[in-house]
Amino acid sequence: MSYRRVRAVASRAVSATTQATIIGDVDVREAEAIVEDGKLLVAPSALSAALGWTLEAQGLCRGDVCVPVRDPSALFSNGRVDLEAVAHALGRLAVVDADAGVMAMSADPATRRQALGLSAPAFTLDDLDGSPHSLDEWRGRKKLLFAFASW
Amino acid sequence: MLHDELGADGFAVIGVALDDSVDDVRPWTDGITFPVLIDPQHTLTETYAISNVPTVVWIDEDDHIVRPNGVAFGTDTFKEFTGVESEPHKDAVRRWVRTGEVPIDAESARSAVGDLSDDEVLARLHFRIAAQARRDGRDDVAQRHFARAGELAPFDWTIRRAALPLTGDDPFGQTFFDMYGEWQAAGSPYHGLAGTDAV
Repeated sequence: MSYRRVRAVASRAVSATTQATIIGDVDVREAEAIVEDGKLLVAPSALSAALGWTLEAQGLCRGDVCVPVRDPSALFSNGRVDLEAVAHALGRLAVVDADAGVMAMSADPATRRQALGLSAPAFTLDDLDGSPHSLDEWRGRKKLLFAFASW
Repeated sequence: MLHDELGADGFAVIGVALDDSVDDVRPWTDGITFPVLIDPQHTLTETYAISNVPTVVWIDEDDHIVRPNGVAFGTDTFKEFTGVESEPHKDAVRRWVRTGEVPIDAESARSAVGDLSDDEVLARLHFRIAAQARRDGRDDVAQRHFARAGELAPFDWTIRRAALPLTGDDPFGQTFFDMYGEWQAAGSPYHGLAGTDAV
């Protein structure tokens, strides 16, 4: 069954509440969401818990970063916030499988453009014992970033 | 190992395993002395535009990339198959660490990788959804999103080959060799310095 067919099936369904999994650029979250017309919607008060961003007067904000939103009303559907619309307002790509209650949102494309412009993007990843490490721990050293896999 | 040989010269290797679990990585880290991190969400394949492994990136003291994504191996184990020898790259690393010599000019380095297409980014999102669904025991959701990811980025090994062990297939089996043939027929696409251009 293709992804597109699933979306079509979901669009015929009436709204239903689900515990959605939202895979963001820095973490994976669980949040109560409403599935409606192939969309994943959350109450405005639940946006922060669902996606890590909040809608403020100055735009969508996370920490001390805010992204202006040209038309905030376009983020809403029947008084609820459409998570895919929020992703697009942030300039991100997103995949929503409302039927399965899952969504993934891309990183800020500016981060990759930074790498293509030869400035190494920061990252934080766990070692095999679960302790987090960030690139800046190796500041002041020449280093070989070596991406490998068992496959 | 370069990490030990050049450690006193202020050099380090940072390994990042694009694997789903620590158990998948451990068998490969016997005798490895450099730090190994794990990236089950493949975040670096998105932010560094990595489309195959092994990929190495040279990053200097100030976190500038002096030599972007390139294929390089630590040993000659796969030389017959890949046509890439390990020693020329290691020699180039030694020269860079000891003398500062960089084997590529900044202009070439800037054009070597190429941005990901929207489809390649979307493939990464489908892959993450699939891998998460698999961890959650939702195999039907996992299967269809792995399949969609492969359709969107058919020549990206971090998508299609990485999905093989997660869908019950063998990453060193017939499916892989069929993919390898398709990839070669498409001109061996890679986001970075490939093959003998890599040094």
